[in-house]
Amino acid sequence: MKPKHQRLVLVVVALVALIAAGLLAAWALRNQASYFYLPEQMQSDPPAVGQGVRLGGMVEMGSLRTLADGVTIAFVVTGNGDARVPVRFAGILPDLFEEGSGVVAEGSLQADGTFRADNLLAKHDENYVPRELEGMSRMQAAKMAEETTVGLE
Amino acid sequence: MHGFANPKRFLGLAAWLTPLCLLLGLALTGGALAWGLFAAPADRLMGETVRIIFLHVPFAWLGMGGWAAMAAASLAFLVWRHPLAALAARAVAAPGAVFTALCLATGSIWGRPAWGTWWVWDGRLTSMLVLLFLYLAYIALAQAAAREGVSARIPAIFALLGAINLPIINRSVVWWNSLHQPASITLGKSTIDPAFLAPLAVAAFGFSLLFGGIVLARMRALLADAQADARLRRQALEAA
Amino acid sequence: MVREALDQWDFVFAAYAIGIAGTLVTIGWSWLGMKRAEARRDRARRR
Repeated sequence: MKPKHQRLVLVVVALVALIAAGLLAAWALRNQASYFYLPEQMQSDPPAVGQGVRLGGMVEMGSLRTLADGVTIAFVVTGNGDARVPVRFAGILPDLFEEGSGVVAEGSLQADGTFRADNLLAKHDENYVPRELEGMSRMQAAKMAEETTVGLE
Repeated sequence: MHGFANPKRFLGLAAWLTPLCLLLGLALTGGALAWGLFAAPADRLMGETVRIIFLHVPFAWLGMGGWAAMAAASLAFLVWRHPLAALAARAVAAPGAVFTALCLATGSIWGRPAWGTWWVWDGRLTSMLVLLFLYLAYIALAQAAAREGVSARIPAIFALLGAINLPIINRSVVWWNSLHQPASITLGKSTIDPAFLAPLAVAAFGFSLLFGGIVLARMRALLADAQADARLRRQALEAA
Repeated sequence: MVREALDQWDFVFAAYAIGIAGTLVTIGWSWLGMKRAEARRDRARRR
């Protein structure tokens, strides 16, 4: 083997070993390094009552309401399964917080199973859609584009 | 491969390629950003703040792509002893660090209206901050190696080791629950509407040209410095 | 329900200002550094 090839083999072997070690460490961290609990995780493996944690999921459609005191809002966070966690929050809402959208709540689980949030963060998904096309199906949007083009002629 | 290792050939190529990359990059980036700022529509959820994507995403891609290029050049230097490869790796570090910092800055400004916070310690944001620190460490290491006469292999090995962070950044939104949303653009698939995707593509291409032009300019500077030092040393020897 | 009601354009302009300024400064710094280094080399060659 030429020295050039020896160096190549040496570097590649060292690199593969290091990348494997790094990925293994990151993969082992996967639960510790998660930023929040999903609702199903909060129900199967709940944190201690009063312990500061984060809960992340979707705000259930139709669940958002203001309680009788006029300040506290209540909503339900859902995950991938049937798990539902009721949340109470009194404070200023981020502008992008809404039903059917993602949320991360910072707070603690109460003895009655509700989650009391001290702070809310809006979490959006990876879809980017123009405001004009909101609520329109792909076909409707195509039709509208067609009509607009026809109108220009 | 060794054709490119010839500094004279490189300088002949870089002489016209550097201003071409920079001018074309400035024109494309300027056009794409004006498009994104004034002509692109508002997003259904995020409203006007979606326009930050045309800066944030190219910065993120080039910050990560910069380290990948540094690692590739370092590998070429370690294995084939390519003299220009070490130079290229050093030239990428500064724009890579700047673009990573700009990715973090624009992301933070985006996070405040979109999420309700400037910063969170989730997997994606933290691993991107680690990338910035890796760049700063590499720059310090490469400077020390050049100045103190330490082997250039040390920063090259560091560049290879640091590449472990790249798949971690990429996978961070998959492995861990994070506030940052998953990738919108994966191989052959995009969840971004064409109204945003088109200016984003032009902006990404324009910023890539600017990045390339900056790297070429910095390589020419490093090469000219080395040539001047060699010339001055020889003149000092002849005079003695 | 109390909302933050932030002006989104403030954030857009701040991000564009920082992004564009950072890119232009890096280009200028690299270009001037290159010109300075090449002028120094040419001076060394003429001597």
